[in-house]
Amino acid sequence: MNHLLNIIRKELRELMTVGSIVSVLIMVFIFLGAGTMMNEQGDSITTPSEIGFIDGDGGPWSDRTVEILVAVYMDTYGLSEEEARGFVKVIEVALDDNAVVVERMQSLGIDAAIAVGPGYSADLDNKVRATISEYYIFTNPGLLGSAGSSMTSLMIGEISNRISKELVFDIIGPDDAAFMLNPIKGTDAHTYMNGEMHAGVRPLDISMGIMNQTLMVPVVIMMVIMMIGSIVISSMGNEKENKTLETLLTMPVGRTAIVTGKILSAAIVGLVYGLLYMVGMMFYSKGMTNIGGLGGSSPADLGLALGPADWLIVGAMVFLAIFCALGMCMILGAFAKNYKAAQTMTVPISVLAIIPMLINMFASWGSLPTAVQVPLFIIPFTHPMMVMQNLMFGNTSVVLAGLVYLALFAMLTIFITVKVYKSDILLTGIGQTKLARAFARKKI
Amino acid sequence: MNALVVEDVYKTYGGRPAVNGVSFSVEEGEIFGLIGPNGAGKTTTLRMISTLLRITSGRITVCGHDVATESDAVRKIISYLPEDAGAYKDLTGRAYLKFMAGFFADGGDAEKMVMSGIGIADLGERIDSKVDTYSKGMMRRLLIARAIMPAPKVAILDEVTSGLDVINAFEIRDVIRQIAARGVTVVISSHNMFEVEMLCDRVAMINDGKVVLCGTPGELKGRFEASNLEEVFVKAVKK
Repeated sequence: MNHLLNIIRKELRELMTVGSIVSVLIMVFIFLGAGTMMNEQGDSITTPSEIGFIDGDGGPWSDRTVEILVAVYMDTYGLSEEEARGFVKVIEVALDDNAVVVERMQSLGIDAAIAVGPGYSADLDNKVRATISEYYIFTNPGLLGSAGSSMTSLMIGEISNRISKELVFDIIGPDDAAFMLNPIKGTDAHTYMNGEMHAGVRPLDISMGIMNQTLMVPVVIMMVIMMIGSIVISSMGNEKENKTLETLLTMPVGRTAIVTGKILSAAIVGLVYGLLYMVGMMFYSKGMTNIGGLGGSSPADLGLALGPADWLIVGAMVFLAIFCALGMCMILGAFAKNYKAAQTMTVPISVLAIIPMLINMFASWGSLPTAVQVPLFIIPFTHPMMVMQNLMFGNTSVVLAGLVYLALFAMLTIFITVKVYKSDILLTGIGQTKLARAFARKKI
Repeated sequence: MNALVVEDVYKTYGGRPAVNGVSFSVEEGEIFGLIGPNGAGKTTTLRMISTLLRITSGRITVCGHDVATESDAVRKIISYLPEDAGAYKDLTGRAYLKFMAGFFADGGDAEKMVMSGIGIADLGERIDSKVDTYSKGMMRRLLIARAIMPAPKVAILDEVTSGLDVINAFEIRDVIRQIAARGVTVVISSHNMFEVEMLCDRVAMINDGKVVLCGTPGELKGRFEASNLEEVFVKAVKK
C-alpha cells in the first residue's frame, strides 16, 4: 500500500506541474470568456437597436408606417412612446443613390433601415401591394451578425399585419376584423412520451431541454479521456525516453502496484481537470442557451429528472470508462519508444472518444440502426455519454448491459496491462516478437 | 560464498539468440566485470539478473534466490543502474532519492537512507535543484547514490562511467571500490576494458552471447601474454 501511495505521490507531482495546471486554467478561462461573450451577444439580440426609416414617399401611409414602427418597438421591447421614437430614425434622402443612403446610415450609426419609395401611399390606397425595401450595413460575419436583419424582417411582417388590420377595420369593423385576421386560436400541443401525455409541450421543447442537461456530459467525458489518455501515454513515453522505467521495474514493488499507481494518479488528475472543464463548459453552455431562447422544457417538469440511483449509475459509468481509457492507454504507452512516438498513440483513443460524442449530439440510442448500435456498444466511451438519455427514456436494459460490459472491459484492460508490464515487450518493444520479425522479413 | 550464479543461460528474441549459454559466478564483495563489444549480450545478461527480462532457459540465482521464481525477493537485495539511465526531470534530486527510498523503507529509516544517498551524490545545494538542470556527471552521481543508498547485496551497474569526463569517472570508480569494501557485490558491464582492468577483481569476456574467457585480469593477461585486457580480448576472439 505504501508503495502504491509512493508511486501515486510521484506521479501526481509529475503530472500536476505549473505548466499543465496553467494550460488547463487557460482552457477554462477561454470557455468562461466564450460563455460571457455569448451572453453579451444574446443580450444584444434581446435589447432594441436603432432602425432607420427612409421616406421616399412623403404620403400619409409612410407617416402611418413610422407610427406603426414606433408602436411595434413599444410592444416588442416594452418601451414608452418617447423611448421608442428614439430608436426610429427617419432619414430624408432620395433612394436612387445607394452611396448617399449608406453615408446617411453610417453618420447616424445604424446598420439597418427600411425604406418606402414614391407611390407607396398611392399603392396602398389603390389596393396594390406596396413595397418596403431593406438596407443593411454588414460588418459582423459571426454567427449573430445576421440577427439584426432577422429582427428587421420580423418588423416588416408586423408592419404589414398592422396595416392589414387598419385596412380591414375600415371595411368590416373592428370585431369581425379581429376574428377574420386571426381565426385560429394558439395551438395546444400534446406530446406522448414514456407512457405519459404531456400537454403544452412539443418534441422540440423536450429535445432542447434534454440537450441542455445532457450535452455537456459527453463533451466533458471526451475532453477528459483525450487529456488523461495523452497524460498516461506521454508518461510512459517519458519513462522510456528518460530510461526511468527500467529502474522503476527493478524496485521491490509489484508490477500491479506500478500499473495501478499510474492509472489512479492519472484518474485523479483527469477528474480534477474534468471538474475544471465542467465549470468552464457550464458558463459556455449558459451563454449558448441565452442565444435565441434555446432553453427548452425542464427535464424535471417532464418527469425526466434523474434520481440518486440514476446518478450513481452515471458516476459508475464515467469512472469505469475512465478506467478503460487509462488501461488502453497504458497498453498503447507500453509500445511507445519515446515521448514523440507516444503523442501519436493518443490518436486511436481520441477517435474512439469523438465518435460516440458526435453521434450522441445528433441521435439517441433508440433511433440508431442495429448496424450502428453494435459498433457503438463496443466502444466503451459510448456508455457514459448516452447513459443519461437512456435513463431518462427508460432504456434500462441498455444501461445495465453497458455497465456490465464496461466492468468487464475495465478488468480485461487492467489484466492485459499487467501482463504487458510483466513481459519483455515493455523493454524490448513489439519488434522483437516472432510475429513482428516474420512480418518484417516478409516486407523485405 | 557466491552472491550471484549464472548457469547456462539462454535468451532469444523472436527466435534470434541474444545470450547463448552464459555461465559465471560472482563471490560476495567481489567486483566482477562483464566486458565485450556492443551487442555481445552484456546488457541482456544484466537485465535478466535484474529480473527485467525473462530467461529463455538456464538459471540465475542472487544470494540463493532464483530470479525467475523469486523475483520479488531478488528485487529487494539488488540495485540495477541501466546504461544512460535518467531520473524524473520534474523532481529535485532530493525528491527523487526520497521516492526511491520509499520502496525500501518507511519513516525514519527512509529518511536515513535519503541522507546517505545525499552524502554519496555529494551534489551540495544542487540536491534541491530539479534533475532537469543537472549535468551528465551530476545525474550519474545521483543515480549511483540511488543505486547504493539502499545498501543492496548485489549492485549491477551497466556502463557506469559511459560519457563521463575523467574526473567524474575517477570519482565514480572510487565510490564503487568503497561499496565493494563494505561487502557489496558489484557487477559492472563495460566495453571500456581499461576501466574494467583497473576496477574489477575478475572479469568475464562475452562475445556473440557467449562467455569466451573468465578470470582475474592478471591471469588473463598472463595466459595470452598480453599487456592489457583489450589485447587479451582480441587474441581470444581470433583464436
